[in-house]
Amino acid sequence: MADKSLCDEIYFNEFYSSHIQSASNFAYYKSGDKNTSLDLAQEAFIKIWENCAKIEFAKAKSYLFTVINNLFLNTVKHEKVVFEYAKSSPYLDVNNQSPEYLLEEEEFKEKLKRAIADLTEGEREVFLMHRIDGKKYREIAELLEISQKAVEKRMSLALKKLRNKIDGI
Amino acid sequence: MKHEKEILKWLNKEISDEELLRLKETENFKTLHKISHYSTQFDVPKVDVEKALADLKNKTKNNSKRGKVISFNFKNLYKYAAAIVILMTTSYYLFFNNEADFNTYFAETKTFNLPDNSEVILNANSEITYSKTAWKERRNLTLSGEAYFKVQKGKRFTVNTEIGEVTVLGTQFNVKEREGYFEVKTYEGLVSVSYKDTLIKLPRGTIFKVVDGIIDTTNTFDVNEKSWLQKESNFKSIQLRFVLAEIENQFGYKIETKDLDLNKLYSGGFTHTDINIALKSVTIPLQLSYKIEGKKITLFNYGE
Repeated sequence: MADKSLCDEIYFNEFYSSHIQSASNFAYYKSGDKNTSLDLAQEAFIKIWENCAKIEFAKAKSYLFTVINNLFLNTVKHEKVVFEYAKSSPYLDVNNQSPEYLLEEEEFKEKLKRAIADLTEGEREVFLMHRIDGKKYREIAELLEISQKAVEKRMSLALKKLRNKIDGI
Repeated sequence: MKHEKEILKWLNKEISDEELLRLKETENFKTLHKISHYSTQFDVPKVDVEKALADLKNKTKNNSKRGKVISFNFKNLYKYAAAIVILMTTSYYLFFNNEADFNTYFAETKTFNLPDNSEVILNANSEITYSKTAWKERRNLTLSGEAYFKVQKGKRFTVNTEIGEVTVLGTQFNVKEREGYFEVKTYEGLVSVSYKDTLIKLPRGTIFKVVDGIIDTTNTFDVNEKSWLQKESNFKSIQLRFVLAEIENQFGYKIETKDLDLNKLYSGGFTHTDINIALKSVTIPLQLSYKIEGKKITLFNYGE
């Protein structure tokens, strides 16, 4: 493990393959721009390749996310970030096909979308990394170089805000 | 928010069945469940990993921004060291080399002054070298060939030759050092000549001569006759081979001889201005004939 070097193309490729999707997603959560997220992630990987000798393999993941974060701070304007649902998004109750139920669910989805757009950047990225990338709190903490407590705090805050918005409290 | 811990556990799929049952009983679990469900359905741009990786490789190759890691190479070190040495030696020779060098070719004489204003007249095919910086402390030069010195008064003035060493204080003298021949003539003052272990004081008008290792100090000469300086060479009982060598030096010809006794003694002189007159003045008294072909002179016995 200690001998793995990112300058070695085999290890770099392995590292790249296992993280490019979540790196691209992370950039997307930050910017909400489908067209630039992959470019941003690619740029971060190039930085890692260029500095391969200086980066420990074990720390490369968090380095990757830090670089994306920095690139985002440098290049992308902070705009309201709105995400769209995938085309094939099944409802919670797949067996219920009543028009009332479908309308209710569509309304919910619309509320959730807007509520997520209103989250702070920190809350949103943690929430979506957890929900979409399926990462555990510990993993997110590692990638963002913050404590697991901080991740959980952001998650709780995000949930609270979402519930409040949706339930209209 | 109540049940905060349980909710987080539940989302992280770390909740126990018991805890989940209790959580499900809470009033707005329905909303949470929907949030949990629909929040996973947002569309993210799907990355084609292989294509993206290929793109990345292209980018890194093209803009090759990648800092090259140049390993420390000893070959390079030698290169730099060699460059520095060359630089230092050339600059030394350019700025600090104080070796002065004067030389003449066949049939050429040169007059020049030394740093102390002493005058040197260098005869044909001769060379003088000395150190410019050391000159102030030691008037020391090396001669190969023949030169006339008019030395300014001052510290010791030394002429080194392969055969002997001539030291003076301030005088005029001639030093001749040719193959197997060494001669010092004093025109003014006193010259001290050291040859091997012997040291000889040479007053005005005397000549010191070593031919093939044999010293001859009995000779005197006419100080007013400064032979080669007046474009002529004069000899007094000198073996023929030295005379011929001098003709070669003065005119730049190559002399070959046929059945001649080269140790035959010759007294007389030859001019430096005309090869034919010079040859005649040497050959006629010795009853010899000569022939010039290009740059080659052949000498043979008269009548052959």
